[in-house]
Amino acid sequence: MTHDDLRYLLAAYALGALDPEDERAVEAHLATCADCRRDVAALRDAAASLATGVPAVEPPAALKTRIMRATELEARVEPPAPVTPLPQRRPRNWSLAVTALAATLAVVLGGLSLSLNRRVATLTNQVNSFSDRLAVQEQVLALLASPSARTASLRGAVRASVRFVYDPLRRQGVLVVSDLTDPGAAFVYQLWLITRQTPESAGVFKPVVGRSIIVPVQADFLRYQAIAISVERGPKGAPAPSAPPILLATL
Amino acid sequence: MGAWESHRNSLVPRPRAQTMEHREGQGGAEDALLVRVGQKGSRAFEDLYDRYGGAVYSLAVKMLRDRRTAEEIAQEVFLAIWRGARDFDPARGSARSWILSLAHHKGVDAVRRQRLRTEESLSEAMTAETDVAEDALRGMTGTEVQNALALLSDGQREAIVFAYYGGYTQQEIAKRLRVPLGTVKTRMRDGMLRLRTALGPQAKGTDQ
Repeated sequence: MTHDDLRYLLAAYALGALDPEDERAVEAHLATCADCRRDVAALRDAAASLATGVPAVEPPAALKTRIMRATELEARVEPPAPVTPLPQRRPRNWSLAVTALAATLAVVLGGLSLSLNRRVATLTNQVNSFSDRLAVQEQVLALLASPSARTASLRGAVRASVRFVYDPLRRQGVLVVSDLTDPGAAFVYQLWLITRQTPESAGVFKPVVGRSIIVPVQADFLRYQAIAISVERGPKGAPAPSAPPILLATL
Repeated sequence: MGAWESHRNSLVPRPRAQTMEHREGQGGAEDALLVRVGQKGSRAFEDLYDRYGGAVYSLAVKMLRDRRTAEEIAQEVFLAIWRGARDFDPARGSARSWILSLAHHKGVDAVRRQRLRTEESLSEAMTAETDVAEDALRGMTGTEVQNALALLSDGQREAIVFAYYGGYTQQEIAKRLRVPLGTVKTRMRDGMLRLRTALGPQAKGTDQ
């Protein structure tokens, strides 16, 4: 079909009146044609108005209860945020942020305690599988046994036990976290390795209340001067820190 | 962008005066709400349900003509919103339009399944509905939508109403009305362009 043929089908597409074959053709075209995307957006608005023209029927109260419960359940069985290194790295001067740490402490803490919600209870269920944990613990043991391993305790805005054990020669490290509060459903903790002025993401994690968690990190640690943690939007974190670090240690 | 919009608006005559401020105020808040749902904000989700639960359910009742099934569909729609809201891109359309077209899509799927289950032939199903177009128009409460539909020719209105509320494809409508497929396509397109001019608060494209 030509562009004009496809464009002619947009109205029917917005009405949901295409057979599956035509619908796929239109969708494929929309992926590449900004003009048609704009047209479809306008046609969809008109179609959406048709939706609001029907006689209003009050939904039963039980419907809302069922829907809210279903999403809550789904949130509970969702896998924990995976520890994913972010490929995108954008340099940014972070030294200012580090010095402003004390000033913004209260704000960050306030935000943290505010966002402590009912998810805390459900988070305890969202734990890494046992075998994964064993593998990581073995990694920790191996690190501790290594003569070239070093340890750094992260300090800063929050009272938490967060230690970073790393072996510069093997380029392996683990962050051991306990007593860190839940950052809230929409947020994650993000780990940063800092060169002279530039933080680079080393992954995101969520704490588990009442348990220690271990975040493996692989990097050439000799390149970095410090390691830090900030609170960022979940689930993927930020390409560059949007808030000052809450915990920091020099390497 | 704002200047460009008002220029465009002055070129396209509209039956109703609309102010950009009003549109953006309302739509922007809902867009932000849906974005928060995408970040798994459960309070935002509840807020969204309070705003759209009635509309989604009412549309499902209209399309499926059965409250029990409509409840199932509404639940399906809101779960899909919860799961899919992170894909919502305000740059590509309003939250209202995103939510209602998702709801409509689920409604179409369900009404087609329903028809398959009852194993009615196409002609029987359509006869059983007497005149969907007339019926749909009678039930309309929003005078705005009613007025807009009244601007269309009978053929245009019929094609749009059968498609949107009945969940029929162009091919099915052509068969039922015994008109060439090309005619249905043209009626649908011309009718939607008119509706867009009369209704679409975010109408931005050009009519050609």
